[in-house]
Amino acid sequence: MKILVVEDEKGLAESITDYLSREGFVCEVANTFWQADEKISLYQYDCTIVDLTLPDGTGFDIIKTLKKIAAATGIIIISARNTLEDKLKGLEIGSDDYMTKPFHLSELNARVKSLIRRRNFGGNNDMTWKDIRVNLPQRKVFIRDAETTLSKKEYDLLLYFLSNIDVALTKESIAEHLWGDNMDSADSLDMVYSHIKNLRRKIVEKGGKDYIQSIYGIGYKFTAP
Amino acid sequence: MASLLIYAAVGIAFFWIIKFMIYDEVESRLMVEKQDFEAYVRSNDTWSNNSYFVENKIEVVPIFGKFKNEVAFTDTLISNRYDETADPFRQLTFYTLIGGSPYRVAIRKSMIESYKLIEAISAAMIAFLGLLFVSTLIFHRVLSGKLWKPFYDSLARIKDFDWTKNKPLETVRSEITEFNELGDVMEKMASKMQHDYRSLREFTENASHEIQTPLALINARVEQFIQSKDLGENHTYWIEEIYHAARRMSRLNQGLLLLAKIENQQFTEQEELDLSEVALNKLKDFEDILQHKDIRLTVQSTGSFRKVMSPALAEILLTNLINNAIRHNYNGGELRLESGPDFVQVSNTGNPLKSDPERLFERFKKESTGAESLGLGLAIVKQICDNCDLQISYQYHEPVHSIRIT
Repeated sequence: MKILVVEDEKGLAESITDYLSREGFVCEVANTFWQADEKISLYQYDCTIVDLTLPDGTGFDIIKTLKKIAAATGIIIISARNTLEDKLKGLEIGSDDYMTKPFHLSELNARVKSLIRRRNFGGNNDMTWKDIRVNLPQRKVFIRDAETTLSKKEYDLLLYFLSNIDVALTKESIAEHLWGDNMDSADSLDMVYSHIKNLRRKIVEKGGKDYIQSIYGIGYKFTAP
Repeated sequence: MASLLIYAAVGIAFFWIIKFMIYDEVESRLMVEKQDFEAYVRSNDTWSNNSYFVENKIEVVPIFGKFKNEVAFTDTLISNRYDETADPFRQLTFYTLIGGSPYRVAIRKSMIESYKLIEAISAAMIAFLGLLFVSTLIFHRVLSGKLWKPFYDSLARIKDFDWTKNKPLETVRSEITEFNELGDVMEKMASKMQHDYRSLREFTENASHEIQTPLALINARVEQFIQSKDLGENHTYWIEEIYHAARRMSRLNQGLLLLAKIENQQFTEQEELDLSEVALNKLKDFEDILQHKDIRLTVQSTGSFRKVMSPALAEILLTNLINNAIRHNYNGGELRLESGPDFVQVSNTGNPLKSDPERLFERFKKESTGAESLGLGLAIVKQICDNCDLQISYQYHEPVHSIRIT
């Protein structure tokens, strides 16, 4: 899986490529509009992450070119601009997702994976890890082939974990993934805690192992014990 | 109106002047006749009514006893000899001695012609003044209609001018130099306004961009850092602090940016919305947290509060209100959403305010010292209300706080 990261802030580009490389993606970076333009005409990418504001051009133009020469490429916009017009324009010219800076790398990772899944299999596939199997189209979860019933939030939480295996996730990123960023109170962290407790219980009940590991002060990690 | 008064005053003054002059003329002629009479009496020392003067214009009446030697002019009416009408006369009365005995002499002069003259002149005056008045009125109206038309047209365009749009202001050109100059100045001011607005807007956006990017970097680096396996408890504490501070700053930045955008009226899209419906939809997003905090929700609606405003702002307004009502609620408390044709009210149970309720809607006014609260939520609510012609009021009846939007 090849990913192109178009971002002029070198440090941020590096963080994104490091993080995504750990997840097994092959990443390339373009720091300027012209680099990006050259790369998309030479190579083929499964997914492109595009910053809208570049020193020598706008991300919108890259997306337009990309749509012309490689329509199958998934496109995620990362922008500091949080305006509705930008979001609508991005979707209109063919991007698949829009994330506002600052974002969580874990969230970006989850969205890249979900985008690639949708692109490659038409959204019609199973996601399997150890003894957990998730039927995505039907939103059903099986532990050791026994179906377990999860609430909507628990299901979203599990999917977020499965997209970020072996990765330390902050409580804040989980809360934001589940409720969006208008839920900014301390209560949302308590709610994360209670949802995690329920999810853990439901997996263990069906004979699964306790995959959710707490990291003191930071959050949680989904990993094989 | 003022000109009408002036016309009336001029008319009346004119009338009096003419009257005065006619009287003056008649009286001097009466004085001349008095002299004639006295000269005649002096030379003949007698007086006969039939001689010399006709038409009982001189009346000589003998008087007895003492008499005052005075000369007086009076107005009098004398009945006509041929018909029954009474005609106005000016009369000069004086006393004299004829043949040694005292007489009162009255010399009269008919005022009929003079009165006719006054009437004729007055009528002509009134007619001419009225004509003048009407014609100036019409002239003014036509003139101001034609002359001021470019001015009023330009005024209408200035009123319609919207500096948030890119369309420049174009005033109407005319033959009047002053109006053209005014138009030039207005156009210059309008384009300056548009330019300032654009640069302010760009500045806020760029500033936000410039701040969000390093914050994104901090966040990303922290996320990378926490992946390392050998973090001590101290390290995680510091990392968490850095992470929190960066997130707080980012939210603060977004909040302030939002306030600036509302102030700059950057939310121009308008739609007729039912605010109570928006509130109900928003409440669905809060189901989890309501359940988590065990807050009882009551919805009471006696009608829909319809309002033309930006849908984005309406959502932010109600999200912030509900968020506020949940944050300052206690576990097992109550949240009430009431709405009617002209209001939406969000009430919640909560501890009494520690600070002045007047200052509730000020920026960075925080009730709790909790790090999670930014103190911008209600300031944003207030700003939205100010910009959308909504009134906001706060009430507290222990233990329920209510914020009402009308």
